[in-house]
Amino acid sequence: MSTALSVRNLRLYFSTRKGVVKAVDNASFDLRKGETLAIVGESGCGKSSLARALIRLLPRNVHTYSGEVLLDGVDVMKLSEEMFRRSVRWRKISMVFQGAQNSLNPVLKVGFQVAEPLMIHFGVSKEEALAEAKRYLRLVGIHESFADRYPFELSGGMKQRAVIAMALITHPEIVILDEPTSALDVITQANIINLLKRLQSEMGLSYIFITHDIALTSELADRVAVMYAGEIVEISDAEEFYRRPRHPYAEKLMASVPTLRTDKKLEFIPGTPPSLINPPPGCRFAPRCPYAFERCLRESPPPYEYKTGSFVRCWLYHEGKR
Amino acid sequence: MGEDKVLLRVENLKMWHAMRRGLFGGVVYVRAVDGVTFSLAPGEAVSVVGESGSGKTTLGKTILRLHEPTDGKLIFKGRDITHTPEKELMWFKRETGLVQQDPYGAMPSFMTIYRILEEPLIIHKVGTKEERSEMIFKALEEVRLTPVEDFAFKYPHMLSGGQLQRVAIARALILKPSLVVADEPVSMLDASVRVEILTLMRELQEKRGISFIYITHDLSTTRYFSEWIFIMYAGHIVERARTKALLQNPLHPYTRALLAAIPDPDPENRKRFREVPPGEPPSLVNPPPGCRFAPRCPYATERCRREEPPEFEVEPDHFVKCWLYVGAR
Repeated sequence: MSTALSVRNLRLYFSTRKGVVKAVDNASFDLRKGETLAIVGESGCGKSSLARALIRLLPRNVHTYSGEVLLDGVDVMKLSEEMFRRSVRWRKISMVFQGAQNSLNPVLKVGFQVAEPLMIHFGVSKEEALAEAKRYLRLVGIHESFADRYPFELSGGMKQRAVIAMALITHPEIVILDEPTSALDVITQANIINLLKRLQSEMGLSYIFITHDIALTSELADRVAVMYAGEIVEISDAEEFYRRPRHPYAEKLMASVPTLRTDKKLEFIPGTPPSLINPPPGCRFAPRCPYAFERCLRESPPPYEYKTGSFVRCWLYHEGKR
Repeated sequence: MGEDKVLLRVENLKMWHAMRRGLFGGVVYVRAVDGVTFSLAPGEAVSVVGESGSGKTTLGKTILRLHEPTDGKLIFKGRDITHTPEKELMWFKRETGLVQQDPYGAMPSFMTIYRILEEPLIIHKVGTKEERSEMIFKALEEVRLTPVEDFAFKYPHMLSGGQLQRVAIARALILKPSLVVADEPVSMLDASVRVEILTLMRELQEKRGISFIYITHDLSTTRYFSEWIFIMYAGHIVERARTKALLQNPLHPYTRALLAAIPDPDPENRKRFREVPPGEPPSLVNPPPGCRFAPRCPYATERCRREEPPEFEVEPDHFVKCWLYVGAR
């Protein structure tokens, strides 16, 4: 499978009054064409910042923004903002934002909002763009008559579908889904996930699926990246990950997921994640890790590639203890 | 359930919220809770599961008499409290506690944790200053906010969400209530913390023999923390049963859809589509005349669309509000 996106040593730090927040620290991964890479982690782990770094929608207080993001062999990090806007954002990579169904403009008709990216990024005429918007609304399962309605006339699930149509209308190759169903009810969520699966296979899309919900990642993920305190601590194939997560954090997180169909004893992880302003010198999970030994507290573990494209950032593996 | 073993009896409870429609429009009613009946025994934990807008939060608040019911009956410890005026309800408020979803919103930001916990004691005129202090430190210890001296004099913003939810639990329990309603107590917390808080609540509930109503949208956590599950849909309890029976043998088409929609972490999931009904719950202003799930139900018949089904007891302690089970038992 060929690569849609290659990320190397991506860093995104923010300046705050209290100091520099290392929201994304040294993230490296590949996204293959047509696959879904899930990025899972708890609140504050940097997963949404990672998404924003990829599509370069950054707040003002950026301290460091560095690394490589290769798209068709081109390092798009080197592009000027103008070039990035014209050739990458929305054209190659688009995004469904968290809680996006509530960010629709209440005074504009739904069809117009879905059509807007075409008018802005491709200079398509209003008539053509509106016709295309209707086509995309149908594609996501909304009757085209809703193009002339206002957001308040749509249910939560329909608004989310409209937002997905908006992200697809510019024919991107990669779609970043940031908690695309987090405000929806479970049955609506299942319907949206079914839709995302169908669109992916019909349009050959690559997804980066960001969520805190491990069980939900298994609905889409071909591979899973686990983030903790700004770092990617594991990337594994889905087949392996859900049966045997390798990083101790991933293992404990999986053990905390309640299941409906199998009996298991639920565990939790004592303590809280470290501050991203002054993360601990060694492994960032070491203070909470039941297997931590002396080296973990002192030295940060590099990735240990246990098979091609899959790695775990943990000294247990480097030292052959696992 | 014998009458002597009932702490709370809810009979055909209705709570309709009045809502004005438009500038000159008349008043319409949102039928958030529309005819709910059940009993709760002392020391039992019940999960009320429903989607947003199903009426589960209103049910919890009405049971605590934070709303005055529109119709039906609320009987607590054998006393009818349905329409008892607020000022005669002090004894009842002392017997009950509430844990809300958002701990930050539920705590006054200008009060220390100590003060937050002392307030219910002062309102109910419990103990001397020294006795109260002892109770507060003990309460903090019970929810494992230790060392207690460190936490007692902090302000809410200095605590994490999980820690603050422990304070909320301590506050709900400090008057030693016999009934606690916890409304989505962990839905704002991270997965790894959720289990910790739910386990703590379960421990305290069992240790003290408190009756517990756990309101949630998350069916997968319920089986670890309650003896009963009630499934709510559009203002009705459509199915109620012992936890195991409900999860192993769901009867109502809505319950089945709900179970089918929830994934367990499994790499096979990505290879298949989920069979779930389309559409969304009906408006509670103008609910459909028959079964409220009928418009989305794959098994709906003419009768379902016309007539509201009663509750059938299909097996002991397993009730379902669905015409498919007419004549069962």
